[in-house]
Amino acid sequence: MTAAEPAAPAARELLPVADARGVRALLGELARPHRRLAAAAVLTLTAATAIGLLTAPLVGRIVDLVADHRPAGDLTPIAAGLAAVALAQGAATAAGLALMSRLGETLLARLRERFVDRALHLPLADVERAGTGDLTARVTGDVAVIAEAVREALPALVRSVLAVALTLGALALLDWRFLLAALAAVPVQVYTARWYVRRAIPLYAEQRVVEGTMQQQLLDSIGGGATVRAFGLGERHTGLVTDRADAVRDYTMRGIRLALRFYSRLHVAEFTGLAAVLATGYLLVGHGAASIGTATAAALYFHNLFEPMNTVIGLLDDAQSAGAGLARLAGVAGLPAPAPRPAPESADRTVRVTALEHAYEPGRPVLHGVDLRVGAGERVALVGASGAGKTTLAKIIAGVQPPAAGRVALGGDVGLVSQEVHVFAGGLAADLRLAREGAADADLRAALARVGALEWAEALPDGLATVVGDGGHRLTGAQAQQLALARLVLADPAVAILDEATAEAGSAGARALERAAAGALDGRTALVVAHRLTQAAAADRVIVMDGGRIVESGTHDGLRAAGGVYAALWHAWSGTRETSAIRPDPAA
Amino acid sequence: MEAAGREVLRGAVRGQWRDLTVASALASAHQVGETLVPVLIGVTIDRAVGAGDGRALLLWLGALAAVYLALSWGYRWGAYRGERAAARAARDLRTALVTRVLDPRGGAEDGRLPGALAGIATEDARRVGYVNVAIMAGAAALVAIGLGTVLLLRMSVPLGLVVLLGTPPLLWAGHLLSRPLERRSAAERERSAHASAVAADLARGLRVLKGIGAEGAAARRYRATSGGALAATLRATRAEAGQEGAVLALTGVFIAVVALVGGRLAAAGELTLGQLVAAVGLALLLLGPFSVLAWVNAQLAQGRASAARVGAVLAAPAAVQGGDAPLPQPVGGAVRLRGVTYGPLRGLDLDVPAGQIVGVVAGGADAAALLDLLGRTADPAEGDVELDGTPLRGLHPAAVRAAVLVAAHEADLFAGTVAADVAAAARGADTGPALRAAGADGLDGATGDGGGALSGGQRQRVALARALAADAPVLVLHDPTTAVDAVTEARVAAGVRALRAGRTTVLVATSPALLAITDRVVLVEDGRVAADSSHADLARGHDGYRTAVLS
Repeated sequence: MTAAEPAAPAARELLPVADARGVRALLGELARPHRRLAAAAVLTLTAATAIGLLTAPLVGRIVDLVADHRPAGDLTPIAAGLAAVALAQGAATAAGLALMSRLGETLLARLRERFVDRALHLPLADVERAGTGDLTARVTGDVAVIAEAVREALPALVRSVLAVALTLGALALLDWRFLLAALAAVPVQVYTARWYVRRAIPLYAEQRVVEGTMQQQLLDSIGGGATVRAFGLGERHTGLVTDRADAVRDYTMRGIRLALRFYSRLHVAEFTGLAAVLATGYLLVGHGAASIGTATAAALYFHNLFEPMNTVIGLLDDAQSAGAGLARLAGVAGLPAPAPRPAPESADRTVRVTALEHAYEPGRPVLHGVDLRVGAGERVALVGASGAGKTTLAKIIAGVQPPAAGRVALGGDVGLVSQEVHVFAGGLAADLRLAREGAADADLRAALARVGALEWAEALPDGLATVVGDGGHRLTGAQAQQLALARLVLADPAVAILDEATAEAGSAGARALERAAAGALDGRTALVVAHRLTQAAAADRVIVMDGGRIVESGTHDGLRAAGGVYAALWHAWSGTRETSAIRPDPAA
Repeated sequence: MEAAGREVLRGAVRGQWRDLTVASALASAHQVGETLVPVLIGVTIDRAVGAGDGRALLLWLGALAAVYLALSWGYRWGAYRGERAAARAARDLRTALVTRVLDPRGGAEDGRLPGALAGIATEDARRVGYVNVAIMAGAAALVAIGLGTVLLLRMSVPLGLVVLLGTPPLLWAGHLLSRPLERRSAAERERSAHASAVAADLARGLRVLKGIGAEGAAARRYRATSGGALAATLRATRAEAGQEGAVLALTGVFIAVVALVGGRLAAAGELTLGQLVAAVGLALLLLGPFSVLAWVNAQLAQGRASAARVGAVLAAPAAVQGGDAPLPQPVGGAVRLRGVTYGPLRGLDLDVPAGQIVGVVAGGADAAALLDLLGRTADPAEGDVELDGTPLRGLHPAAVRAAVLVAAHEADLFAGTVAADVAAAARGADTGPALRAAGADGLDGATGDGGGALSGGQRQRVALARALAADAPVLVLHDPTTAVDAVTEARVAAGVRALRAGRTTVLVATSPALLAITDRVVLVEDGRVAADSSHADLARGHDGYRTAVLS
């Protein structure tokens, strides 16, 4: 990235988000192969809930038998029935939950796989416009929220909804007037639910933001601890963290207050319904329309309804946040399947760039009509100040950034290694095989040897099987860059582009990396964005860019002798007039 | 460390004792109310519904209303105070942790990654704080169990004993069923967390994947990871579903036994119908407080483990011991190393007179050791590092760093804006000259997390500007321009020279453009000074120097 690129625009254009129809379409598509599983899960859980509802009338029956002064022995079969109900309910619940989890988890897995596939094939320009943060946030945060919902909320929600529906049905079976009484609680519940969801969703969203900010501040201050101490910024950073920790505490308490007011309201609903059911029992028993046992069963039913009812209402906000996460995942996962990479126009291993223009922001062009030909097997070094357009030119030729105007004709496939290194978490061999799937161990070793990395790679604790990257063995910046070059060797493109691929190493490591880069480029048409001029000196041709234009082009010696921009640069870089004495050895 | 953990836990509870006491009392009131609800249902059925007594109905519904009011109020304010105690304790621990980590004497980060430390300050602090809620819930559960016991035993001793003696084994059976599952499912859950980590890792490496056309290979790899995680998760969920079903069945059978015993007692006239209904209700209800006790136990165990991790950080030994003297003022800026042995350094002598710009060419390990000593993040094993003749080991580390700024090669930028980051170091002074000298003028906007919104070269120039802006009497720069292009580097070198004129500056670097602007250059080899002269002389006449700098 060069200074000409936008650093971080305030309002980013985020990746696509699906609307309700898009979400439904994607879920429908993912669920279609599992229709039978879905039906079996719902049926089994319905059966389990229905069986469970037999408990209350059986207890009621015991009450009736006692009220009728029947012999104690008559109670035994009823109690046995209660036990049988319990065992059947347990078995059916286990089966239903297992089926429901299988459905939910399978859909979740298909969804995240689809998301990752589409996300990896997004045009890089789109991702950069949105920021990779948006992508990683979706793939971790949103997937986690949905996984949590699938794991915890979905089974609880399905069971509670079934319990509520069937319990109300059972109340109606006892006597329709009991149902009517129970529904007295509904207006309060509906009001409470609406009241809660309206407040909870924005509040919890803000709470997550505040928590994320604190986490970020902690990482920032702790990760930069050495810098904080060096600059004596301890107090400032402790203050920053304390502010964020205070905000988290305050937002936590706001959330708690809301939840507690919510439950207070639900208590009102509980009492209203319970009092209505008991009063109805009184009236019905008084008029001989129901037995005491029936009234008991009705009261027990309603008392048992509290929990599932509160669960359903309490899950409404989880369901909404999962819905929002789902829309963000579906926005990317619902994109059409990626098209295969276009085949190169010819196989002559050349690069032809014609009248290339580009601007990241309107009115701020970074390339002005650049024309460039790189011959087969030629190594060209691009030199220039930050903001001269070198990186943009490299990215356009590599095909990761579409140009505003002009065209690029490639005589073969192209590979790009930038100064941004990433070591993929997992085994070192697995990392390399991303570049060539199914590569034999010997191929991997050969590639590592070519970039001078075999020695340290084999010296790792588990050799090529050593887990590297996040959470694994830490590689140095120079080692990571060698790994990137080894990947390039394995991908084996006809045209290779290195963008400041030796920048991250300190000055001592840079020379080793230059050798590694030379090894990786051997036999390829190459364009090297260089800032150490030794790299330029070792190239077949040097191109100097300034303000988005090519201003000089020629061999190292030719340009040095010409006394232009490059000659001045060389002089400044080498810091001495004895240029002949320090002519670097290209093989070094 | 055990003791430190216990102290952390005790402090987190003791600091909140007022809230915790009120919370426990109110939560107990709530539990009493919850326990009374089934009792009142039974009484209402007994005295009003069964007896057909309208006045009794109103009376008992009124009682029910009163109980609801009390339990609702107790819950609302009890839980509020308990959660507040937890949130405050967590916040206090976070502040203490960060203060310890950022302490000038250092030492808390040794062997811990920033992510792990941030995790301790968020999750572990939260869990320790949450012990307050667990204690509140535990107290309330004990009260509920006590009340339930009294009520049941007053109704009927045999039935009460069935419920009270039956509940703990029932919960214990549930616990035994779930314990092996918990371990297994935790391991299997980890695989799905791993799948998510792999996905995030691939997303972060997206540019690299695009560069070599490896998107397809990466997507296929993720599909395999995700599939493996799914299989593991399904094994875990099947086991969990089985456990949940088993607990449900056990509970149901228990209720059947209570109903049978209660029914027989009622049939024998030892129990009223209302008491029978209440007993069944209480048997169901008491499962709640008993399982809360199990939950409290788990929370306390988690809290103890978290407290041990928090305590280990808080009690970590400092990296540099001793030395509390303030810095003699004014600072002249003469730096001297005398016979210093530390790490790879072997009796190193180095003299930087006040106001000089000195280049130091040294290998990676030598350079790192030198930087540690100059910033007093470590003390030498032998010899002394002196500032204006005062040994650094006698000075407070914060005082040393107020005079000597060591700007490391891997300097971290802080999230925010370029301007804010540089201004924080400048402490109110004008940052313009520093930004211009470092070639960082014109870089505005956000730095991103850890400087992620900037390119490597931009990050370096901002870090250099920040170091220059601090305007320290002694400035030590380590490889400040490795990611900067040759054109800019030449400009930056001249800028540093102009801005630091007359102020002690040590450039630990191998770049000829930087070394060319120094007053003299010291070449360190094998922990000793190998040459000491001007850049021009060394570049002309010293082979070792030419190899290190110019090839």
